[in-house]
Amino acid sequence: MFKTFFLSELNYRFRQPMIYIFLGIISLLVFGATSSDNVQIGGAVGNVLRNSPHTITMFTTVMSIFGLLMGAAFFNNAALKDYSNGFNEILYSTPLSKPGFYFGRFLGALVASTVPLLGVFIGVYLGSIVAPAVGWIDADRFGEMSIMTVISNYFLFILPNMFFAGAIIFALAIKWKSAVISFVGAMIIVIGYTVSGSLLSDIDNETLGALVDSFGIRTYSNVSKYYTSTEMNTLNPSFGGLLLLNRLLWIGVGSVVLLFSYFNFSFLNKNKKEKKKVSKDKESIVEAIVLLKPQTTTIYSAVGVWSQFKSFFSINFLSITKSVTFKIFLIFALLIFVTQLFGGFEYMGLKSYPLTYKMVDAINAASSLFIMIMLVFFSGELIWRDRESKINEVIDATPHVSFISLFAKAISLISIVSLFYFLFVVLAVVYQLLSGYTNVELDIYFKAYLLKYLPMYITYTGVMILVQVLLNNKYMAYFVSILLLYVSSMILSAFDIESNMLFIGGRPSLMYSDMNGFGPGIKGALWFNAYWILFALVCLFIAGMLWNRGIVSSLKSRITKARKEVPKKYFISMMVTFGLWITVAAFVFYNTQILNSYKTGDQQELILANYEKKYKKYEKVTLPKITKVKYFVDIFPEERAMDVKALIKLENESHHVIDSLHFNLSDKWDTEFNIPNSELVYHDEEYGYIIYKLKKGLQPHQTLDIEVNNKYTTKGFGNTVGARTIINNGTFVNNFEILPGLGYAAGMELSDKNTRKKYGLAPKKRVPDLEKTCSGTCMSNYLTNGVSDYIDVETVISTSNNQMAIAPGSLIKEWKENGRNYYHYKVDHASQNFYSFISARFEVAKRNFRGIDIEVYFDKKHGVNVNMMLDAVERSLDYYITNFGPYYHKQCRIIEFPRYANFAQAFPGTMPYSESFGFVMNLESEDDNNVIDAVISHEMAHQWWAHQVVGADMQGGTMMSESFAEYSSLMTMKTMTDNPMKMRQFLKYDHDKYLRGRSGERLKELPLYKVENQQYIHYGKGSVILYALQDYIGEDKVNTAMRNFLEEYKYQAPPYPTSLDFLKHLEPQVPDSLKYLITDWFKDITLYDNRVKETSYKELANGQFEVEINIESAKIKADSLGVETKVEMNDWIDLGVFADHEEDSLVFQKRVLINAPKMTFTFVIDDKPVRTAIDPRMLLIDRVYKDNSKSVQLKQ
Amino acid sequence: MNKLIIKNVSKTYPNGVKALDDVSLELENGLFGLLGPNGAGKSSFMRTLSALQEADSGSAMLNEIDIFKTPTELRKVLGYLPQEFGVYPRITAEQLLNHMAVLKGITKASERKEEVNYLLNKVNLYEKRNKSVKGFSGGMKQRVGIAQALIGNPKLIIVDEPTAGLDPGERNRFYNLLADVGEEVVVILSTHIVEDVKELCTKMAVMNEGKILYQGTPNNAIEELEGKVFQKMVERKELNEYADNFSVISNKMVGGKPVIHVYSDEKLGDGFEMVKPDLEDVFFSKINTSHKLV
Repeated sequence: MFKTFFLSELNYRFRQPMIYIFLGIISLLVFGATSSDNVQIGGAVGNVLRNSPHTITMFTTVMSIFGLLMGAAFFNNAALKDYSNGFNEILYSTPLSKPGFYFGRFLGALVASTVPLLGVFIGVYLGSIVAPAVGWIDADRFGEMSIMTVISNYFLFILPNMFFAGAIIFALAIKWKSAVISFVGAMIIVIGYTVSGSLLSDIDNETLGALVDSFGIRTYSNVSKYYTSTEMNTLNPSFGGLLLLNRLLWIGVGSVVLLFSYFNFSFLNKNKKEKKKVSKDKESIVEAIVLLKPQTTTIYSAVGVWSQFKSFFSINFLSITKSVTFKIFLIFALLIFVTQLFGGFEYMGLKSYPLTYKMVDAINAASSLFIMIMLVFFSGELIWRDRESKINEVIDATPHVSFISLFAKAISLISIVSLFYFLFVVLAVVYQLLSGYTNVELDIYFKAYLLKYLPMYITYTGVMILVQVLLNNKYMAYFVSILLLYVSSMILSAFDIESNMLFIGGRPSLMYSDMNGFGPGIKGALWFNAYWILFALVCLFIAGMLWNRGIVSSLKSRITKARKEVPKKYFISMMVTFGLWITVAAFVFYNTQILNSYKTGDQQELILANYEKKYKKYEKVTLPKITKVKYFVDIFPEERAMDVKALIKLENESHHVIDSLHFNLSDKWDTEFNIPNSELVYHDEEYGYIIYKLKKGLQPHQTLDIEVNNKYTTKGFGNTVGARTIINNGTFVNNFEILPGLGYAAGMELSDKNTRKKYGLAPKKRVPDLEKTCSGTCMSNYLTNGVSDYIDVETVISTSNNQMAIAPGSLIKEWKENGRNYYHYKVDHASQNFYSFISARFEVAKRNFRGIDIEVYFDKKHGVNVNMMLDAVERSLDYYITNFGPYYHKQCRIIEFPRYANFAQAFPGTMPYSESFGFVMNLESEDDNNVIDAVISHEMAHQWWAHQVVGADMQGGTMMSESFAEYSSLMTMKTMTDNPMKMRQFLKYDHDKYLRGRSGERLKELPLYKVENQQYIHYGKGSVILYALQDYIGEDKVNTAMRNFLEEYKYQAPPYPTSLDFLKHLEPQVPDSLKYLITDWFKDITLYDNRVKETSYKELANGQFEVEINIESAKIKADSLGVETKVEMNDWIDLGVFADHEEDSLVFQKRVLINAPKMTFTFVIDDKPVRTAIDPRMLLIDRVYKDNSKSVQLKQ
Repeated sequence: MNKLIIKNVSKTYPNGVKALDDVSLELENGLFGLLGPNGAGKSSFMRTLSALQEADSGSAMLNEIDIFKTPTELRKVLGYLPQEFGVYPRITAEQLLNHMAVLKGITKASERKEEVNYLLNKVNLYEKRNKSVKGFSGGMKQRVGIAQALIGNPKLIIVDEPTAGLDPGERNRFYNLLADVGEEVVVILSTHIVEDVKELCTKMAVMNEGKILYQGTPNNAIEELEGKVFQKMVERKELNEYADNFSVISNKMVGGKPVIHVYSDEKLGDGFEMVKPDLEDVFFSKINTSHKLV
C-alpha cells in the first residue's frame, strides 16, 4: 500500500510539467550565477573556484529557500488533491491503510520536491563546461567537481530541509485543507529563518544562531566562516559537528510534527464545530407583514459613483482585514518586530537609542517582505474575489462602472498595507516610550510613509492588478508578479541596465539623518515617485478597460469589447494620465540620463581599464610636489554647490628638470587652471586627463605657484542619490575630492585579478614589495602617494549664515560678510596633505587639556554622549603624550557628519565622526563595550601613527598606522579596567575580524609586516599581535620600541620608514627567549590550535586545590592561500583557572613552556576552580577558541 | 407596460457549441417561464440578456433600451439572480444588500436602509440580517439573492434556475415572492423543472439546443396535446420494442415498473389508455422529437 501511494505520487509528479519547470528555473539561475560576473550568489571571488565545493554549497543553501516555496506546492497538492477534487469521500471509504496512504504520499512528495534543487548541480556543471568554452569565464576559474559534493549537499541540505519544511506544510495542509494556509506556513518558515538570523548576529550568539537555523545555512556559514580559499576549494560540508547536530535537530522536529499530524489524521470527517449553524426549524416564519415597497431614487452621477466606490472599498477592505491570512501576517510580523526591537545589536553588542528613524528602518526590516507578499497575494485575492465567491454575475449585472470597482480594489489593497505600516508605527511608538525615550517624532513616521512606502505600495498595486487582469489566471499572475519583483532586476543587471526607470518602484534611495533630513535624494525621489504613481494609474486604467466583466473571455475579445464599450471620457482620462506620465518620464529621463548621465558598472570598469591602458605610461613621469596650499572654499549648502580656489605651491624635489604637469579631472567638477608660463597641450575629456607644458622647465628645487579653480554645482537630480558629500546640512569633503589629482591616478586601476584579466590587463600588485634597502618606493607614503609630504595649509572658508564651517588648524579669524559666515584657519604644524572641510549647523562642546582645545561639534539632537567623547579624547591624549610623545596641534576636533557613511576618520587635528557611529549609541550601561572609547582612542592614536609618522607606500606600510592605532586604543581601554578578562571582550572582535577577513581574501594573505592594506590584517591581526606582544614582553618595552621609532621618523622628509625599520627598534626590546615571536607573529602567518582535553581537581587537606590540566597544543604555519603545516613547538603559553562559569574571574594564571603536542600540568591554587583554560585571555590566534577552556571535574 | 423584444439572437462558443440559435421572443409584464433541459442554452440566454455575455448577432430591446449596445442603461433597470449565486465571506445579509443597493444607484443612506429593511422583511430574513450570509442555508441564500434582484425599481428581472436545491417549503415561498413582483415588471424564470412553470407562469417557452421550440401559454400548449397522449405500463424488456414502434414522449418508473407516454394522433388500444396531458408531456414532446427513451 505504501509503495502504491509512493510510486503513484512520484509518477504523477514526473508526468506534470511543474517539476521540470522548477528544475529548469533553478538550473538556469545557478547556471547564470556560475557563468556570469553580473549575477552574484555564491561568492566565488578571488581564489575561490566558481564550482568549488564551498560555492556549490552556498548555491544549495540559498536555493533551498526558493526550493521550499516550490516544494510547498508539491506537499500541499499531495495532501489535498483528493479533497480539492472532491474525491476524498470516495477514496477514504475504500479499505486503504492509513500509514501507507499518509507516508506514501508524503515521501513521494518529499522525493519529488528535492528534484528541482538538483538544478544547482546541473547549473554548476553546465556553467563549468559552457562558460570557459564560450569564453565568458576563464577555464582556470573552474576545478574538478566531486560527486561527494553532490552527495553531501543532497543529504545535508536538500533532503533534510525539504523534510522539515515538507512535514510542516503537509501537516498544515492535512489539518486545514487550505492551500493558502500551507503557503502561509511555507512563508513563515522562510521569514522565521531570515529573522532569527538578524537576531543572532552578534558573535556571542553565533552558535545558538547556527543551531536554530532550520535551513542549516547559518550553520554552514558558521562552520566555514574561517575557511581559507584552499579549504573552500577542497572541503565538502561534513557529516559532523555543529552541522550534523543542527540537521538532526531539525529532522527531529520535522518527525515530531509529522507523527503528531499522522496520529491526528483520520479518514473520517471529524465533527467540525458548526459555526453559526442555521436551524430552519427554529426560524420563525413570520407571515409577511404587508409592507409597502418604499420609494427610492437612483442616482448615477458623480455622487452615485462616489458612494459606489465607498461601498466597494469598505466591502473589500473589511473582508481582507477580517481574513485569517491577514491576521496571521500581522501577528507574525509584529512578533518579529518586537523580537527585533528587544534583541538587535549594531556594533560590539551595543544598541543605539530608539530614534524615530531607526524605528522606521526597523519597521521596514520587519515588514517589507510581508508587505511584498501581501501586495502580491491580496492583489490576486481582490481581483478574483467576486468570481471565487461566485457573486460576480450579480455584481457585474449592476449598473456600476467597472473602473470604480477596480479602483476601489486598488485603494483597498493600498489601505491594507498602509494599515499594516501604521500598526507597526503604533508599536514602535509604544516601544520608544517604554524604553524611556520621549523624543517621538511622529512626523518622521509619516513623512517616511509618504515619501518611501506609499508610492511603492501604489506602484506595486497598479502593476500587480494589471498583471492579474491581463493574465486572467490568478496563479499565473502570482508567478509573473514574483518574476517581475525579483527576477526582472536580476535580468536587468545581467544586461548591465541600471536606470531606476526600469526597476519597478525604483528611485534614488532616501536615508533619513537627524542632521540632513531625507537627504540629497529627495528631489529625485519625488519625481520618481510621481513617475511611478502615474505609471500605476495608467496600469489601472488599462486594467479597468480590459476588466473581465461578465463571462470570462480571452484577452483579444476583451480588447475588441473595450474598443466598443469604453466611454470616451474614460479614454480621454486615460490618455491624459498617460500623457502626464510620458511628460514626467521625459523629465526624469532628461535629468537622470542627460543632465546627470551616469556610467553603469560595466561601463565604469571599461573606462578604468582604458584609462590604465592609455595613461599608465605617465605613471613614472616626474612631477613637482605640493608644498603649500592656501584654500578659499565657499560652500553653498542650500544649492548643494561649492567653489574652491586653491593657491598651490609646487616644488621640484627631483634632480631633473620638469617640463609638464599632469592632472586628473573629475567630471563632477568644473576645473580651471591658472599656471604661469604654461600651455595646455593635451586634454582628454572622456577620461579627464590633462597635460600642461611649462614653457620654461622647472629646475630642481625651483618652486611654481599655480591657481586652481574648481566648481561643483548640483543640477536637477540623478538616477541614484549619488555622492552625499555636498549637502544641505553636514557637508563633508576631503582635499582629494575638491581638487584635481596630480599625475596618473594608480589608485583608480582595477584591482580584482579576474576583472583585469577580462580586459586583458596583467594582474596588479596591490602594493609594491617590501624592500630592505629602500630606493624610490620609500619616497612616497601611502596616504599622499608622493604628491606631497608634510605641508602647511591655510584656509579661508565660508558657508551660509546658519552654518559653521571647519577646516584644519587653529581658527585665526571669524567674520560675517554678505550674509555669510567666514572663517580663517591655519594649521599649526606642517602635516600630511590630507584634511577635510565641513559645514553644518553645529553645537560645540569644549574642554582644555594641557593647553590643547578638545572640541566636539555635534548636532543639537545628539548631545547625549558628548561628554563621554571629551573624556575619551582626554584619556587618549594622556596615554599617548606620556608614552609616545607630544601632540603638535593646538586642538583636537571631533566633528559629526550625517550617517550616509558609517565611520570615523582621522585628519590632522580633526576627526570627523559619523552620526550613527557613536552619537546615537546607548552607552548608559557601564558593563558594555564602549564603542566611543574604542573608536576615539583609535582615531586619536592616528594623530601619532599616520600623521606624525607614516609608512612608505609598500607592503607593511599600514602596520605602523592602523595596527599601532588599534594597539594604542586597546592600551587606553586597558587603563580603564582592572579585570584582565574585560579586554578579552574587545580582543574577541579583533580575532573574529582577522579570521573572517582571511576567509574572504581574494588574492593572498600576507604576514603582518608585509600587509598590503588588508584591513583584516592591519586592524584585526595587528591589534591582536601587538596586544599579545606587550603581554609577553611588557607594555613599556613595546611602547619604548614604538616611541624610539617615532622619534627617528617623526615629521621627517622622505624616505619614509618601512615595517622593517620598526622591527629594528622592536628587536632590542624582546628577550632572546621570546625572539621567536617576531618571526611567528610578524613575519609568518602563525595560528595555534590549543585545547583543554581533560581537567580535574581535588581539594587538599590544607583547603587548597590541586588542579590538573591535560592540554593539546599545536602551532600551525599557513601559506598565503591558507595551506597549513604543523610545526615544532617550543612556545610559552598561559594556563589559567577561572572561579566562575562566565569566565569573568581569572584566579590563577601561569605561563608555561609547551614543547609537546600533549602535556599535563598540575598546580596548587587557593580558590575553588570552576573552569580551566589554555590561553585564558585569548592572546593567541586560534580558529576554534571555544575548546580552550573546560569545566573542571572533581577527581574521584 | 414593459416590453422585451428579442430578435434573432445567436451565439456560438469558441469550441463550436451553438449556445443560441436564432432566438426571437417578445415578452411583456408578467412571469415568463423558459423551460429547457440542462445544457439547452438557458443560462447563456439569461447571461446574454443581462449583458454579461456578448451575442454574435441579433438584437434585444427592453422598451427603448438596446441591451447589447447600451448595457449600462439596461443594468440600471435589471434585477438578476444567476444560477450560481455565492456571497462574500464575512459579510452579513444587511451589509451585502446595502452594498448591492449602492451599486444599483440608491445613493441616499436613509432610502437605502428603508429599502434593505423592506426587502429583508419581504424575504423573511429581517431577523437574520446581522448574520454572515456565508452560513445561510441554500434557501435562505436564494432569498437573499431574490432580495438583491428586487432592489430599486427593476423593469426586467431575470432569475436563472432559482429553485434548484430548494425544499418544497422554500420553493413555495420563493414562488410567492416572484408572483408578487411579476405583476408590474417582466420576469424571466429559467428552469428545467416543469412544476415551476406550471404553477407560476402565464407565458412560457421551451428551449433546447439553443433553439426556441415553443412559445405561448402553458394552457395552449397542453390543449394542443389534448387527446393525443396515451399511457401504458410495460415490462422493462419490452421498452425498446415500444420505442421502435411508437412516438414515445417519455418513460418513467411508477411503482417499480416502466410507464410510457406515447404521442399519437389516433386513439391507441392494446392496453394504452388516453391520459390528460400535462406540462411535462408538453416539455418532453417538444424536446424529445426523436422519440428516444430517456
